[in-house]
Parts: sequence; structure tokens; C-alpha cells
Amino acid sequence: MLRASLRGLLDRKLRLTLAVIAIVLGVGFFSGALVLSDSLGARFKAMFASVSTNVAVQVTARTDPAQPSQKPPSMTQAELDRVAAVDGVGAVSPDVTSAFVVPYDTQTGKPLPGGGPPQLGIGIGAEGDPMGVLSLAEGRWPTGAGEVALSRHTAAQAHAAVGRQVKVFLPRLQRPQMFTVVGVAAYAGGRDSLGGETVVLLPMAQAQEAFYGRTGLYDGVSLTADAGVSDEALRDRVSAVLPATFEAKTGKQSSADQAAAVSDSISGLTKWVLTPFAGVALLVGIFLIFNTFNVLVTQRARELAMMRALGASRGQVTWSVLVEALIVGVVGGTLGLGLGALIGGGGSWVLGNLGDAKLPGSGITVGLDTVVYSYAIGILVTVVAALLPALRASRVPPLAAMREIAVTDRPLRLRAAVGVVVGLGAAALIVLGLRAQDDGLSMVAAGCGVAFLAAIVLGPLVTRPVGRAVGLLVGWGVAGSLGVRNAIRNPRRTAVTASALMIGVMLVTAASVVATSFKESVVRALDTTLRAELTAAIGFQQPDGRIGISSAAVARIRQLPEVQEVVAMHLAVAPRLNGETAASIGVGAIDNVPGAQRTMGMKRVSGEVRALNAGELVADENTAKARNWKLGDTVRIALPGAERPYRLVGTVEASPLWANFLVVPMPAVADFAGPLIPQAMIDVRDGADVAATQAKVEEILVDFPSVTVEDKSSTTRQVTQVVDIAVLIITVLLSLAMVIALLGILNTLLLSIIERTRELGMLRAIGLGRGAVVRMIGTEAVLMSAFGGLLGVGVGLGIGVALAKALVYQDAITGVWVPWWQLVAAVVVAAVAGVFAAIVPAVRAARLNVLRAIAYE
Amino acid sequence: METTGIAARAEGLWKRYGSGEAQVTALAGVDVALRSAEFTAVMGPSGSGKSTLMHCLAGLDTVSAGEVFIGSTRVTGLRDAGLTALRRDQIGFVFQQFNLMPTLSAQENILLPLTIAGRKPDMAWFDTIVDTLGLRDRLSHKPTELSGGQQQRVACARALAGRPAVVFADEPTGNLDSRSGAEVLRFLREAVDAHRQTIVMVTHDAGAASYADRVVFLKDGQIISELAAPTADAVHDQLKSLETSGDGR
Ligand SMILES: Nc1ncnc2c1ncn2[C@@H]1O[C@H](COP(=O)(O)OP(=O)(O)O)[C@@H](O)[C@H]1O
Ligand SMILES: [Mg+2]
Repeated sequence: MLRASLRGLLDRKLRLTLAVIAIVLGVGFFSGALVLSDSLGARFKAMFASVSTNVAVQVTARTDPAQPSQKPPSMTQAELDRVAAVDGVGAVSPDVTSAFVVPYDTQTGKPLPGGGPPQLGIGIGAEGDPMGVLSLAEGRWPTGAGEVALSRHTAAQAHAAVGRQVKVFLPRLQRPQMFTVVGVAAYAGGRDSLGGETVVLLPMAQAQEAFYGRTGLYDGVSLTADAGVSDEALRDRVSAVLPATFEAKTGKQSSADQAAAVSDSISGLTKWVLTPFAGVALLVGIFLIFNTFNVLVTQRARELAMMRALGASRGQVTWSVLVEALIVGVVGGTLGLGLGALIGGGGSWVLGNLGDAKLPGSGITVGLDTVVYSYAIGILVTVVAALLPALRASRVPPLAAMREIAVTDRPLRLRAAVGVVVGLGAAALIVLGLRAQDDGLSMVAAGCGVAFLAAIVLGPLVTRPVGRAVGLLVGWGVAGSLGVRNAIRNPRRTAVTASALMIGVMLVTAASVVATSFKESVVRALDTTLRAELTAAIGFQQPDGRIGISSAAVARIRQLPEVQEVVAMHLAVAPRLNGETAASIGVGAIDNVPGAQRTMGMKRVSGEVRALNAGELVADENTAKARNWKLGDTVRIALPGAERPYRLVGTVEASPLWANFLVVPMPAVADFAGPLIPQAMIDVRDGADVAATQAKVEEILVDFPSVTVEDKSSTTRQVTQVVDIAVLIITVLLSLAMVIALLGILNTLLLSIIERTRELGMLRAIGLGRGAVVRMIGTEAVLMSAFGGLLGVGVGLGIGVALAKALVYQDAITGVWVPWWQLVAAVVVAAVAGVFAAIVPAVRAARLNVLRAIAYE
Repeated sequence: METTGIAARAEGLWKRYGSGEAQVTALAGVDVALRSAEFTAVMGPSGSGKSTLMHCLAGLDTVSAGEVFIGSTRVTGLRDAGLTALRRDQIGFVFQQFNLMPTLSAQENILLPLTIAGRKPDMAWFDTIVDTLGLRDRLSHKPTELSGGQQQRVACARALAGRPAVVFADEPTGNLDSRSGAEVLRFLREAVDAHRQTIVMVTHDAGAASYADRVVFLKDGQIISELAAPTADAVHDQLKSLETSGDGR
């Protein structure tokens, strides 16, 4: 008796274990994202704090949070002098800094790769850094023209040493210059770099010339305080003399703000990537837990009925089930938090040491909010999932304790009605959304969400027919057909189990339909409309003009005899249109609009499309339509340099190459973040050797950091690669959801086996062999997983096609392409994965002691 | 099939459960032979080893000592695969409860052992059984749609469908009302009389035992008496005397 109850407890523990795993993975992903950003944030904080240990007050330009790419104002010499004269100011360290100052490797002659930690140029006085952040390790500080000092990390990267020549790219000059290295500097504490950045130190005056075009301008200033003056007091005194565009902060505040800004942007990224998958994992987990508790309640019906017979109220019975759920939630939340700490800590370690980004510190930072969220989510998800089963438990009549009460399946009619209504709602939303064309995307997306609900409601109704059909394929022999019947005998349970798998497969299917359509559209557009054989462009960096090709270099390319035409595009990101941020809209100035019409598929729809005069604007038709702009309307565009009115003179056809795009005249480039060209299209003369031309262009562009020249096929390849990688990442992350779903199948099978112990014993007694039992369970598993896979592919296909269609109406893509083989593969993989889920339950069932099974209570 | 006319036999059969102090001897040297075409009832007080004896004879349980034969096959010594095949091909079972696969119709349940074995059913024999048991119009029903008596009759039909060497029935009427029980017992009787089937039935109901050709009485794991051509009263008397002799110990 004791052994029996111990075994029961163990079995129940195992069942709950699987439910816990789902919570652990979901909460782990979620808290992992939080821990990652907190841990990285702490390390950035340490980094910035080490820079400003001696800084009492820091003066910086006020930034407009609504427009982060705004070009910051400069401080004049007179303004700086006023600050320096404030009573209580000790040392004064003017700030003259530029990003994208790229040193070249003296061995290879190539620019050091960008895209990671900043590549800084800093102006420094003859006495060095008054704040003591940087100190000389070798040589001396630069004083004359043509002299620089390098941080130790930079010197190592560029293979440069004191006395050697080093080439440095200066973005304002749009070309590199040769310098002599006269010193090597290290950070306080002997660090080579703070976070993997490169630093080129120029004499103050040369730096101002190189960065701003004249001397006497500053980005800001750092100050120390005289003895007896508090940081706060100094800050207030300094604030009083500052121009309105500048603000003073204490050193502590400033480093905290900087760290917060950096870690905010990082945590934004990790949250957007990790949280959706945590959500999917938890959603799948809900199904698993729901099933577990449902079966648990069924199996404990007698126990529960006895409690009721002994006088327990319905509420008490409900509560007894919910308490169990609560425990599962707490355990899952705790373990999930642990997993999250591992994920976050590991991620912080990897990101913090990625490449040259050597962030100070290490360790795992788990914030109180992370802990609270983890438990809240773990408990909430479990309790919500267990709520229906708990209510069902309270409806077990006390009579069930006395005799076997056949659990009759409630008829599926109500479910069918609800499902059909929900399904029609989904269809209506999607159709209306597609009709609405331009603004329909959100409606279509909502329709897809509702369609998913309909699929879940209708799942049990199609379990039997689909199960039988799949059974024809996989249900071989007696064992197979017994397995098929077992799978469809409880359609609700099977459908819930399969739904969990459906979610992952559905999302992957929808994503790959949209991605494939996008990929095909772009590839075809490139193929048919892009006549330029070569593209010179920067890699995956902000294309805002601070990095790229100079106009002079473009002019040299134009002069190549093999080159027919060059179209250079200056770009700006995240403009404000009529006072509103428009993150998805790109702004560009094209130096050769007729060329763009000839070689880049830029097609006029209305008005005039030509080389623009100052104050004129061309937009793609969709953007104009969506924002209700008419020809002749004035649009205020805020660019980093200034906000100015532009008059709409023409629209161009929207296409994958011309989507969400505004063309401004060339003079507007002065308002861009930088004058460099991120992207130039090069049309090679007919009959000229493309590869040879590419080599010549590369020769011209060799000195430009981060610029590469690609031919059409590698441009195409880049696009397809990006899409493929995106789909791969989605698939990998969602496979987590699928693993949870497979655990769900395993769980359902284990529970079913326990339920059917006597039946199994009888089958074994009348001659079903062990192998046949294994096959029977395997068939049941495959049926459930194939069912989930089919449902997922079916619904995902519908959703993917609907979304892709909506995108077609927006001209973001040109057609819908379905990756059929991928979809077939998804179903097959799902079905095969079912086999793995069957291993443990099948072995358990085969090992069953026949006699004990028959006598099983 | 068997020249000796013995369908199954046990020689010096011992069965012990557990070890050390907790050891229980369920069978203590049982010798028994079950003649072909005979209906044998096994009786005895609760815990006397009736079920154990049946399980050992049917190859469902291992024995501690002794030998078991079904026909000419030595059951003791067979491994799982051999036992499974033996049960499938030579033995029929009727359990007290939980006898049928809920997912299969009555007909599918009846034919299940044959389906498992991959044997073609003898349809004439199938018809005979079904008609005798009055299951003709219930064949397409699922077990949940049948009464307890009907379910047990389906189980009987299944046990006989493959014409096994021996049918073992462990308290087949235990869960039935007297009328349904009588139907099942009459059918078992007829299977022996008309179709020369060998049947062993464990029961503690004297009335049920009176349908048998012979009753074997077990006590404390030993066969202590036999009764040929039993009547309900005779069986009753015998059981009474078993109990009194038990008190005397
Ligand atoms: N699996 C087992 N483990 C331990 N003891 C058992 C087991 N099965 C039966 N027994 C013991 O063996 C004896 C005979 O049991 P059983 O054959 O079931 O008796 P009957 O069927 O006559 O009531 C009893 O004492 C019982 O407790
Ligand atoms: Mg018994």
C-alpha cells in the first residue's frame, strides 16, 4: 500500500515536473532578458564611472530625446572661458571629440573594422588629460600638426608604436591623413581600453580643425572642483553661466545617465528579441499545464469525490487544485529565475567580451523587479492554466466516490458553433483588412490572431477526421491502429496537446512565408529593375553620412571609362515629419536623379521627378498617400542639422526598392549627420568587364572604412542571407517552444498510460507483445505531433499568406511565395519529433508488469 | 492435440512472494492436471492462492519452483516473447472486470487476439459463438454502449474466438447480477459440452462452481480436496468444512 502510494507520488511528481519545465523555460527566457540588460548595464555603469572619477561637473549639449540623431550644438571659446572663470572650478578639461575617426592597420594598410565599439578621435592639451582618465604610457602628448597619440588598445590593433607613421580617416575631411605616433596612453588602472573603443588623440587645435573645421569650438567640458566646493554647488554655479543649449551635471549623474542610455538601448534590443519567445514558450506552457491538471483531476476524481462526500465545499476542492498549481508556479518561477540568471550572465559575458569590447567587471545582476516579474509570471501562468481544471474538479459529484461515474464527453456542438463564429470573424477581419489595402495591415494582423484562436477552438473537432487520415499513413498493423484509436479517443486532450506544437509550427510557417515572399520580391526587383551591376556601400552600420564614400571618390568612379553611370545616395535616418517621429521612413539625397530613374527603377507616378532644387521633395506614392500629402503641399522635415519646409513636387512608384522613402535635394545634405555617401550604385558600360571594373572601383575606395563593393549577385546574396538568417533565428528560438510542446506530448502519453494501465495489462495478457506496445504508443505520439504540425502549417500558411498579401498591397513586396518544401519538412520534422516524445512513455508501457497492471487500482 | 487428454498441468508448483520475514508462500507444492474438454472450477478462501495458481498456469507469472505445461509446451522457462506468443495462441482470458478495449467495437474486441496474431478468423466459429451469446445485434457497439453482462459475454467470445487450448476465467461473474452471471456460465458450460473447450474458472460462488465438471479446493496454497460433478450444496458443504478445519489450526 505504502509502495503504491509512493509510486503514485513519484508519478505525480514526474507529471508536474514536465509542467514545471515549461514554466522554467518561459520564465527563464523572460528573466534572462532582464538579467542580461541589468548585468550589462552594471558593467557599463562601472565603465563610465571609471571615466569620471575625478570629474566634479560635466557640461554637455542638451539632447532632444525625441530626436536622438540631432547634431549637437558646439560651445564657443568665450562660453568655455566663462565656465572656466566660475568660482570654485579647479581643472578644466575641454571636450573635443568625434566618432568615426578610424585608424588603419599599419601592417595590412586596411581601416580597422567598424560597427562595434566607437572609433573615437579626441583633442588633448599639451599637458595631457587634467582629469587623469588617460595617462601617458610611452612617449609624449601630441603637440604639433601631424602628431597623434594612441590609446594602448588602438596601438595594438593598428600595430603602431611610438615613432611610427599611422594613417587615420577623418570623416569631416572625407579622407585619411598620415600622422606620426608620438605617444601611447593608457587608462587609469592600467586598462588598454574602456570597452574596446579605439582612441586617436590629436593636439587640441588640430582636433578642432579636423572635427569642426575651425578652432575655438568645443563639445562640452569636464571640471574638477576646488577643495571645499561640493559637486552639486559647482554644478549650480556653472549652470548659471551656461547657454541654454548646454546643461551641467555632476560627474556621478553624468556617468549614470550615460550608462543608462547605453544599457537602455541594449536592453531594448534584448527585450524585443527575447521577450516574444518567452511569451511563446509560456503560451505553449499554458497548454501543457492545462492538460496536465485536467488529466490529474480526471484521475483523482474519486479522491475529490470522497472529499466532497466528507463535506468539503466546492471552493475547497477548487482551492486544493489551485494550491498545487501555485506550488508548480513558485517552483517554476524559482528555477526559471535561476535559468534566467544563467542566460543573462552568460549573455553578458559573451557580449561584454565580444571582439574587443572588454567591459570592466563581470558577475550577474538580478534586480528586484526581475525577481518579482519571474514569480508573478510563473504563478500567473500556472494558475490561469489550472483554473479551468480546478473548476472542473469542483464539479465532480460526491456520488463519484461510491461508484464509477462514466465521464461522458460534453458534445462538441457548442464548441463548433463558437469556433465557426470566431473563424468567420477572423476571415472577415482579414478580408476587410486586405480590401482596405493601405491601412489594412494591422487589421489583417488582428485577423490572424483571431484565426489562431479559432484554430484552437476548432482543434478538437478536426482531431478525429485528421487523425484518421494521418492514421492511414502511419497506423500500420494492429499496434498502429490501436495507437490511432487511442489518439483520437479523447479529441480534446489530443487537440490541446497538438495545439501546443501548433503554435511553434504556425509561427515558423507564417514567418517563412512572409520572409520568402520578401526575399523573392527583393531578388526579383534587383534582377529586373536594378541595372547597376555594382554597389558600393557600408556594411551594417547606421547609414547617416558619418561613414561612407566621399563625393570626390564618387567623382573619380564616374570618370572611369568602364562606368556608364553612378548614383550616389546620401541618407539620413529617423527624421521627424511635421513634428512627428517617423522611424520607418528613410530620407535621402540623390546626386543623380535621372540616373536613378534609368538604373534603379525609380518611376514617376505624379508631378515632376528630376534633379531637385532646394526646398523640393519627392516621396514614394504610398508614403504620400498614407500621410495624405498632395503635390504642392509643404512638409516640415527635421534632420540632424535643422528642420526645414519642403514642397512635394512629385511621387514615385512604391516598390521593394522604393518604399517608405523621401528624396530631398542635394543642399539638404548639409543638414545630415555627415557628408559621406553610404551607398552608391554603379552602372557598368555594356561590354565592359564587370569584375575588372569592380577591381578599379575597389582601388579607388580602398581607403574608406567599412565600404565594400559588391556585384549584383553578392548584393542579392546579402539580402537573401539576411532573410535566411532572420528565419533561422526565429526557427531556432521557436524550436524551444516546440521542445516544450514535445514535452507536452510526452506528458500526455505518460498520463494516458497511467490512465490505461489496466487496458495495457489486458492487451499484454491476451498476447500483445512488448514491441507492439512500443509501436502502439509511438503511433499515438506521431499522430499527435503530425496533427500539431499539420494544424500549424495550415494555420501558419493562412496567416503568412494573409500578411504577405497585406504587404503586397503596401508595395513592400511584389508577390506571395510559399516555401512548399519547407512546409512539408516542418510537418515531417514535427511527426518524427513525436517519435522522440514517445520513447520514455513507450518504454514505460512495455515494461509494465502485466499482473500488476491487471490488478491496478 | 494432446494424446494424454491433459490440456494443462502443474507439477510441484511453488510460488513465494517477497523475501525474508515478509515472505508469503502463495502456492506450496501444487500438483494439478486439467483434462481437455473439461470445465474445472478452482475454489478456496480468500488468499488461498487461487488467482496465483491461475496466473502461473497461464504464464502470466513466474513460478518459484516446479513446472507448468500447456499442452506439450513447457511454460516455465519461456521468456517474455515466448510467453506472449503462448498467451496469444493457446490461451484465452476472461477477467473479473476491465476486459475490453474501449476504443474497439464488440466485434473488433472479439477478434483482437486473432488480429494481434495475424491469424485469419474462422468465421463459422465466430458466428457460432456470437449467436450462442446473443451478441449478433451488438457487434458494432463500443463497450461503453453495452451492459456489464453483455461486456462479459463479449469477453467470453474473445477468449474462445481463437479456439485456445485453455480458457482461464478469474471470477468472471464476480461483477455481474445473477441473471447475467448465469448466462455467462451457461455459455461456458456449452463451450465445453458442444465444442470440447477446456476451461478453468476461479470463483468463490458455490452456485457458479456447480456449472463445472470438477471443483478443486485450495487452502494455504495447497490443493486439499476435489469434487467431481459438483452441486451447489455439495460445494457449500465442502467450503464449510474447509473453514472449520482452518479454525482448528
Ligand atoms: N504480488 C504479490 N505480492 C505479495 N504477495 C502476494 C502478491 N499476490 C498475491 N500475494 C499473496 O499471495 C497469497 C495468495 O494470493 P491470491 O492468489 O491472490 O489469493 P486468492 O486469489 O485465492 O484470493 C495471498 O496471501 C496474497 O496476499
Ligand atoms: Mg483472487
